[in-house]
Amino acid sequence: MASETASSPGTTRRERWLSRFDGSLFALCLGSLLVVVAGGLVQVSFGAFSMTLVEAWQAVFNPEVVFDSRAWNAFLFGGELPEMNERSLIVWNIRLPRVFVGILVGMNLAVSGAIFQAVTRNELASPFILGVSSGAGLMILVTLVVFSGLTAFLPLVAAVGGAVAFLVVYVIAWKNGTSPVRLVLAGVIVGTVFGSVQTALFFFADDIGVVQSAIAWTTGSLTGADWEQVRMALPWTVVAMSLALLGSRQLNVLLLGERTAKSLGMSVEKVRFALSGVAVLAAAASIAVAGIVGFVGLIVPHMVRNVVGSDYKNLVVGCIFAGPALMVAADVGARLALNPVQIPVGVVTGLVGGPYFLYLMRKQDRMGEI
Amino acid sequence: MSNERFGTGSFASDSDRSGDPRTNGKRDGGNERTTTHKLVGEGLAVGYPTTDEPVVECETVVLPEGEVTALVGPNGSGKSTLLKAMANQLSPADGRILLDGESVQTLDSKTLAQELGLLSQENESPGSLTVEDLAYHGRYPHRGFFDSLSDDDHAAVDRAIGLAGVEHLRDKEMSNLSGGQKQLAWIAMVLAQDTDLLLLDEPTTFLDLHHQLRVMEVVRTLNHEEGVTVGIVLHDIGQAARFADNLVAMKDGGLYDWGPPADVVTEELLADVFRVDASVDASVDGESATGPHIAPHRAIEE
Repeated sequence: MASETASSPGTTRRERWLSRFDGSLFALCLGSLLVVVAGGLVQVSFGAFSMTLVEAWQAVFNPEVVFDSRAWNAFLFGGELPEMNERSLIVWNIRLPRVFVGILVGMNLAVSGAIFQAVTRNELASPFILGVSSGAGLMILVTLVVFSGLTAFLPLVAAVGGAVAFLVVYVIAWKNGTSPVRLVLAGVIVGTVFGSVQTALFFFADDIGVVQSAIAWTTGSLTGADWEQVRMALPWTVVAMSLALLGSRQLNVLLLGERTAKSLGMSVEKVRFALSGVAVLAAAASIAVAGIVGFVGLIVPHMVRNVVGSDYKNLVVGCIFAGPALMVAADVGARLALNPVQIPVGVVTGLVGGPYFLYLMRKQDRMGEI
Repeated sequence: MSNERFGTGSFASDSDRSGDPRTNGKRDGGNERTTTHKLVGEGLAVGYPTTDEPVVECETVVLPEGEVTALVGPNGSGKSTLLKAMANQLSPADGRILLDGESVQTLDSKTLAQELGLLSQENESPGSLTVEDLAYHGRYPHRGFFDSLSDDDHAAVDRAIGLAGVEHLRDKEMSNLSGGQKQLAWIAMVLAQDTDLLLLDEPTTFLDLHHQLRVMEVVRTLNHEEGVTVGIVLHDIGQAARFADNLVAMKDGGLYDWGPPADVVTEELLADVFRVDASVDASVDGESATGPHIAPHRAIEE
């Protein structure tokens, strides 16, 4: 059965592996990394306590902090913070965590969006297409307005709300199995109803502070992001990213269509639900720390697909790098553009994302299908 | 040749047009050792979730091992539906389908996909996918969740690409291929699945004559050289008569007749099933290179 053409499998496999290691993917990752580093340095340098880029650089790479296990213990496990100089304290304790949270949120949203685009086989899908954002938004409003005692648990409540809404969407879409179209339609239905209730709840907010807080959560903001947010999101991010990378081959097969996937022996419903679950986990992790940041999960997979093609092995890796780049860059704008006023980062991603999407729409003849 | 394997003249020339192959199969089994049946459907009633009534009902349908069986019939006669049910893509409301004596409904989906390859009628792939990538997807049922590609996988893909004759297109992206080339690439994918049984749903529809023949030649090579059992839905009865060892003629969701082309393809069948007034050239029999000649004259009025 073995063919003669498979001569010297050792070398051919190596060549194949090398050919798969895409030059464009490498360039994309490197470029994204540079954007993240540059954006991060700008973030740590500017603000109420200003320092020069060199000073900021020195504070970031202060060996007393970087190689201090107690400091990392404090950052990652919430231990007691050791003493450090003022600049390092500001950089490491106030400004850098915000950059890290931005990185985590960016990769979560980008990968989540990429997965949903494969699951629904629609390029216009986003992490919030299957009701996740409306569920989270509704729970945020309910918590802030009705159960204000639970405000401390807001991140958790929001993430759970998103996950529950996703399950509701799935139940609605289920009829002898699901289909991409029915899932999207069910998402729209749930989104409409939840959105109405959410808007209605604004009328019951008694003071402007609650409304502002609600708006910050529902548009997405990194203001006040701290190590606590890093600690909250990091484990879930690691889990979700690993699962997404492992599932990339399944995503590729799903792209061949339901019938083909099924005839190749895939349990399409199970795989689709599991992958959606991974995507919801990633989206929920980002909602818990930053609220509902729009557009990142929609645009980043698009940009990456334009560069590396639709192979999810490359696409997921590209999203893990490009998502943070967009998020960190947008947060520079959100924090510093109208200094000292900070605007929600979701506003900036929307302002950047809308025109980019328009450009894509004009440039490409066919949009919608992957 | 195939005539003999079926118990000669047992049914096809009968005046009884119900063509029940089960009784025939029993007769075969009783008389002599004959071909085993790779895939058998028994007492099938197949419908879609959206329909109340079954679309296809048939007592028995059989794909003999190591042979090419073509399902023919007019539009809407249920041949694709039957094929989907045989491949366990649709679960029948009633009846069972046995692959090597085991019910396909109880088989694990990956195990089934290692035994049975199916190419659906219309397939879409991401445009930037290369032919080789697509062929590698055919290895899906052979790989565990964490498995990387093995030498077996590489060998199977090389073989599939060679058999399908798309070696020169290996690194081309799907969006740059013609319809016929795409179809051959998809066939390479099912071939990479390396199954003993292959079900193809209208693989030649929408292709130009050259690619139609290419596809059918791949099927024939696979059958002759590797002994793969093939079930194939074809639109063109002439093509079916030429390339298949057996024909299953369907009409209105039921089996009309079943047997070697020389017995099944008659003027009566063309009139009854296809509603075409045609003459069949009896001087060219089924064993000639081009099969029985069918000359259609006109469509029969309703």
